[in-house]
Amino acid sequence: MHERRRRRLAGAARYAALTLIFVVLILPLYWFVMSSFRPVEDIFRYANDFGIRTLVPTRITLQNHIAVFRSEFTRALFNSLFVCTTTVALSVFVNSMAGFAFAVFEFRFKNVLFVLVLLSFMMPFESIVIPLYSISRALGLVNTYGALILPEAANGLVIFLFRQFFLAIPRDIYEAARVDGASWWQIYLRMTLPLSGPTVAAASLLIFIHQWDAFFWPLIAASSPELVVVQVAVARNMSVDQTNWGVLFSSASIAVAVALVPFLLLQRYYVRVVGLGRT
Amino acid sequence: MQTKWWTPYLFVSLAMLGLFVFRFAPIGAALWGSLQETSLTGEVRFAGLENYTYLFSDPTFWNSIRVTLLFNLVINPLQVVCAMVLALMLVRPGPFLGVFRASFMAPMTVSIALTAVIWGILLEPTLGPVNGFLKWLGVPPQPFFRSADQAIWSIIGIATWKGAGYWMIFLLAGLIAIPRDVLEAAEIDGAGWWSRLVFIILPLMKRPLAFVLVADTAINFLMFAPPYIITQGGPAGTTHLLMFEAYQSAFTYFDHGRAMAISVIVLAMILLIVGLELRLLRPKGAH
Repeated sequence: MHERRRRRLAGAARYAALTLIFVVLILPLYWFVMSSFRPVEDIFRYANDFGIRTLVPTRITLQNHIAVFRSEFTRALFNSLFVCTTTVALSVFVNSMAGFAFAVFEFRFKNVLFVLVLLSFMMPFESIVIPLYSISRALGLVNTYGALILPEAANGLVIFLFRQFFLAIPRDIYEAARVDGASWWQIYLRMTLPLSGPTVAAASLLIFIHQWDAFFWPLIAASSPELVVVQVAVARNMSVDQTNWGVLFSSASIAVAVALVPFLLLQRYYVRVVGLGRT
Repeated sequence: MQTKWWTPYLFVSLAMLGLFVFRFAPIGAALWGSLQETSLTGEVRFAGLENYTYLFSDPTFWNSIRVTLLFNLVINPLQVVCAMVLALMLVRPGPFLGVFRASFMAPMTVSIALTAVIWGILLEPTLGPVNGFLKWLGVPPQPFFRSADQAIWSIIGIATWKGAGYWMIFLLAGLIAIPRDVLEAAEIDGAGWWSRLVFIILPLMKRPLAFVLVADTAINFLMFAPPYIITQGGPAGTTHLLMFEAYQSAFTYFDHGRAMAISVIVLAMILLIVGLELRLLRPKGAH
């Protein structure tokens, strides 16, 4: 009897703590996104005078979001989406080819190259950002789309994901195709790649989110206004234009939503694949 | 059909070219650039270790080292503890846990730049709702990022808000892998919750915990966006993290050699961390 009461109490304490943590983690995000739907003059109106109206909007409007789509932020949205999709296409192609080679062939220096692949994704990208800038300048990439896309094309983690998937395909089917006279290029393009839909999807999501979130590198490598990406544009709204709170709240909320929605839709899957590359 | 010897190389060539040019060449560029000095007129000359000796005699650099070390000494253990607490709370079955797990992980989908923007506003001393909430609780308003005493702690707080749920995933996987009968046997023997945690769970979780600590350090050592977006390294240099110092050297003062020397130091630190990480990831018993 005593034991049962103790357990029930422990259970209640656990759920109270879970709820408290839930509030701390979610409420800030909720307040921010919710505020983007308020008229500009309401955004901070109830912030300092905490109460139910701080959290529940009395008036709802799309005016901030409409204003954003009439502002320069559309340029940033276009740039980010363009850079993300191009990187995804290029990266899936380049890295799946490499993953195919590591899974299927035996060749000299294979192990050395594979260790380099592993090293490349264990080394955080930010650690090389500043010398990467000198390399990109020497290559004439600074302030071009190339600066945003090319350094992200080869990706050790994506090579690794494809290799793992291709290793699971029995080698016999390759041998059979070879006997029938297929070239390795045809095997890769017509047999292996069409089989790897789930890995392509996982890699695409991983690369897309990684590019969408990028801040430090675009900030230095593509600083001109024509090339600005979403994260940098939002940060600039924050520092320069303190008068236009509606646009800041709306643009930041859009930037949050693009990364948050795939997570909400694909949770378990998301954790397994994108979780690997997120920090 | 005979496979040509060069076929495999053709398949890996594009990816390896990308990795060499954009991942490994920068390491060489940092080493080489750190030994050179570029004058204001753009002339480059070999300077030996001058950049390093200059750096090591500069109090701004030492301050950023101090801030970065303090930051990491606090934030990494803190995030591991928070992640472990979250994982422990979720590992036992119960209703609604899926909702809680998802909501604990949601902040990880917010990029670090957006985390800085959102929390920069939430913790704004006069406008932000956090001080409004504190007032409601009867606590006096706090300066947060505006004060030398609180700024670095505020950055630690917001980075932990974003990071804890991410590292929780790894620890939750580790906890789930602990055989249930081990825990049940201990419970039957009368071991309480605390002694089960200390004598059974924590020893079995040594590897995932160590991995998370090391991987987390690699990330936090390179923290950049919050000082850039919110504090500009201030007040009084208290949030002047090393990556912000590297950024300023390169893009505010255009001191190429100095920026490269800092990058070399950062890279050395990261290689050390990656070495540790590789050791931890090696399967048990393998040498």
